[in-house]
Amino acid sequence: MEAILADSVRNSLQQLMYRNAIFMCERLCAEFPSEKNLQLLASCYLQNNQAHCAYHILKGTHIAECRYLFALACFQMDLLNEAEAALSPNESNVEVPNGAAGHFLLGLVYRYTDRKQSAINHFNQALSLDPLLWAAYEELCILGAAEEATLVFDDGASLLIQKQYLQRGLPSQSSQETNEDHEITSNRSSVSDDVSPRKLKHTYGNNLREMSGNSYATTSNQPLHGGPTSLPFYSTPSPMATQAQLSGVRPPPVCRNALPNGPNMRTHGADVSQRVTMNSAVAGPRRKFVDEGKLRKVSERLFSDSGQRRSMRLAGESVNANSSTSVASGNGISHSSKYLGGSKLNSVVSRSSTLRKSHPSSSEIADEGNHHGVYGESRLNVTSSTSSPCGDNRSLEPEGATSSHGAVILSSSKVADGASDILGLLRLLGEGFRLSRLCRCQDALSIYMKLPQKHYNTGWVLSQVGKAYFEMVDYLEADRAFSRARIASPYSLDGMDIYSTVLYHLKEDMKLSYLAQELISTDRLASQSWCAMGNCYSLQKDHETALKNFQRSVQLNSRFAYAHTLCGHEYVALEDFENGIKSYQSALRIDSRHYNAWYGLGMIYLRQEKFEFSEHHFRMAFQINPLSSVIMSYLGTALHALRRNDEALEMMERAVLADKKNPLPLYQKANILVSIDDLDGALAVLEELKEYAPCESSIYALMGNIYKRRNMYDNAMLHFGLALDLKPSATDVALIKAAIEKLHVPDEIDEGDSMD
Amino acid sequence: MAESSEGEEEGKLTGGNPQLVVDDDLRDMAKKAAWSVSSCKPGNGVSSLRDDNLDTYWQSDGAQPHLVNIQFQKKVKLQLVVLYVDFKLDESYTPSKISIRAGDGFHNLKEIKTVELVKPTGWVYISLSGTDPRETFVNTFMLQIAVLSNHLNGRDTHLRQIKVYGPRPNPIPHQPFHFTSTEFITYSILR
Repeated sequence: MEAILADSVRNSLQQLMYRNAIFMCERLCAEFPSEKNLQLLASCYLQNNQAHCAYHILKGTHIAECRYLFALACFQMDLLNEAEAALSPNESNVEVPNGAAGHFLLGLVYRYTDRKQSAINHFNQALSLDPLLWAAYEELCILGAAEEATLVFDDGASLLIQKQYLQRGLPSQSSQETNEDHEITSNRSSVSDDVSPRKLKHTYGNNLREMSGNSYATTSNQPLHGGPTSLPFYSTPSPMATQAQLSGVRPPPVCRNALPNGPNMRTHGADVSQRVTMNSAVAGPRRKFVDEGKLRKVSERLFSDSGQRRSMRLAGESVNANSSTSVASGNGISHSSKYLGGSKLNSVVSRSSTLRKSHPSSSEIADEGNHHGVYGESRLNVTSSTSSPCGDNRSLEPEGATSSHGAVILSSSKVADGASDILGLLRLLGEGFRLSRLCRCQDALSIYMKLPQKHYNTGWVLSQVGKAYFEMVDYLEADRAFSRARIASPYSLDGMDIYSTVLYHLKEDMKLSYLAQELISTDRLASQSWCAMGNCYSLQKDHETALKNFQRSVQLNSRFAYAHTLCGHEYVALEDFENGIKSYQSALRIDSRHYNAWYGLGMIYLRQEKFEFSEHHFRMAFQINPLSSVIMSYLGTALHALRRNDEALEMMERAVLADKKNPLPLYQKANILVSIDDLDGALAVLEELKEYAPCESSIYALMGNIYKRRNMYDNAMLHFGLALDLKPSATDVALIKAAIEKLHVPDEIDEGDSMD
Repeated sequence: MAESSEGEEEGKLTGGNPQLVVDDDLRDMAKKAAWSVSSCKPGNGVSSLRDDNLDTYWQSDGAQPHLVNIQFQKKVKLQLVVLYVDFKLDESYTPSKISIRAGDGFHNLKEIKTVELVKPTGWVYISLSGTDPRETFVNTFMLQIAVLSNHLNGRDTHLRQIKVYGPRPNPIPHQPFHFTSTEFITYSILR
């Protein structure tokens, strides 16, 4: 009875029928209470987005996979201490469960509890265990501690990938795939941690996992890799796999029967779907390399990972679009999506379903797109070879035709090729992402250009390109890149918050409100949609409503740093500096490399005339983004306010060099020169500036002031007149007219001087 | 009607706008001030002047002149005062002669503007600017709006809403002038 129930549960999970799965599993646990069954039940709950249920039932369990799931549930419920305790209890000999996935989760916990170094260590470990764990690399980039992509995704990684893939390829493959999903329920034990976590997982995931409990033939499970079942976390691997494989997951022999290989399989599938959902948002290049059609499957698998990664990435980055993608499921909850978001699954599911028959939705899932595709291929091949049953599981089968896989056996050379292709892709994407996070945008752009067209023209890459242009203050190019991203993946919400800011800067209110409406209708529960809406209101100067929208965005995902920063900007516009400071500090707590928040704090202190603080904050922003001329010019302004004029002038020079199109540093330089009485110098600078921005009233007003000080009244009058013609603000009109009146006084005294 | 000679400037204002329309470069200064009144009937106190609800009103309860005092923590530039009054609803409670005074505190208020309202129904705009461009704004710590007399010689007065506007500050701190061109504005903030 136990076996039948377990099987039915896994089957339901694979088909993403959570309520059925939960019900059956509860009966299973009641009849045969054991940790393994609890693990299965927890994975059902997690996939159905009920982290709190999983939390309660897994409290106090000991086996590795259970601890992993428990930690996942804790993370989703924001109980980071417990998550940490579960993953790495005090007895240091205990292995982190689920290998790479476990390290990744632990890394996230450390990141959100402010222990940056430990986080970095764990992410690095995760990557060394599974080079295809893109999400870990992403997190490292966000923390600013990533190594060059060529070092990470190198030949050693290639070998590891191949090994894992081949190991997993065997029968258990099918299970693997599914296993990869977080839920890896039982297999964990069988899995060996160090095998490349994800990859293998995918393929084998199911298998391995299954191994532990299943009665299936499970050929493969065990051997596979070490990649511990931990996949679960990231495993979204093959969302598709779930579909396809759900049935048999693991053991090849049974695979076909749609017997779930093991609980894992199911979970994987589920996970995968989830991930996939995530990915969808991402629109990353999904590559599904089609390797005789099998790729699809593989890619799916990969994606599941990517999904994961994506989630991770998304999670990591404040941009949490996850919910958006999951729209399908409707979960809307951003974090959950990351992990298992039931929604994701749903979305995944939907995706997969559309995909196709057996093909795993991976193709779709491909968002993560990058390497996955490649991976997928290899997987597919492998899977097919390993076992028929498993093959199915993999769902990756791209064309469905292979569903039965059974026969495909990837030759090792193909695997090697596949692995190196994937790594090649990952290298480019990784390096591009790393550079863009280090604010070396021009370099990042040139790397992205090296990508093959089919990858470049995907939502994820185009949106990264858009972000790079945004940081270089080239809003027109950014607009272009983002609109192409929208065309490539109109359902994706990743990066759309930045796009809305670009439109805000360009003052395109029509486009901005259209974008906001579309995003809200795509996913009402995504943080990015409300950010876009808020930007819309802010452009119309309705700061109170804008603030409400940004606060809503924060509520939907409190780990989204940009939403906090935008709230801060609105508070400042409403002159509520205290709350503004609080918002910026919250943003920094989430992501201390979010230079916009450092800049915001610097601006507040500048307004409040706390110049020392202001200089410190601008300097922090400058250290993170040393190429931004805007930050440099404000740092210079703060230095000038502190009367450190030499340093201020030097900073302005650097700002001018950094971006020739920015007129502000020159203007500030003129200001500083006036204050140190170098009137000629100032006039020279302003003359130059006049050529660049002939319609700027403040240039003429300042020149008027200078001429007045020089007693060159004709010139002063001329310039004041020009300044007034350019329609300055009311305050300035008053100032200028007052200055003009004062000009007349000496004239009146010196009779005979004709001014007009 | 004959112009009275009292006050620096006296003008007659008739009618009133049903809508409140203010220039973009003005902003509401009310939140920065402490508001008080010389007297009030319970239930119709000073908060009715600031609640954005035209159905609630402040009703005075004492001798004329009735005073609304607006005190700021630091000197601010003010440009416009807008009142919502309605003769059709308030009849003899509608203010007729209004004097606006400014100064550092109660001890040195000086009248800067006088207006006479004639059957007003809606928002009445009272600009505080002088003729000289140097006098566009009134730079002051305190503003006092005094109701000197009402229509039909009523004793007490109703005021439904008061708004006070000043210029918008420079969004970019520490600059001598505001920026007008797109190139400057685009590069002047990081969002």
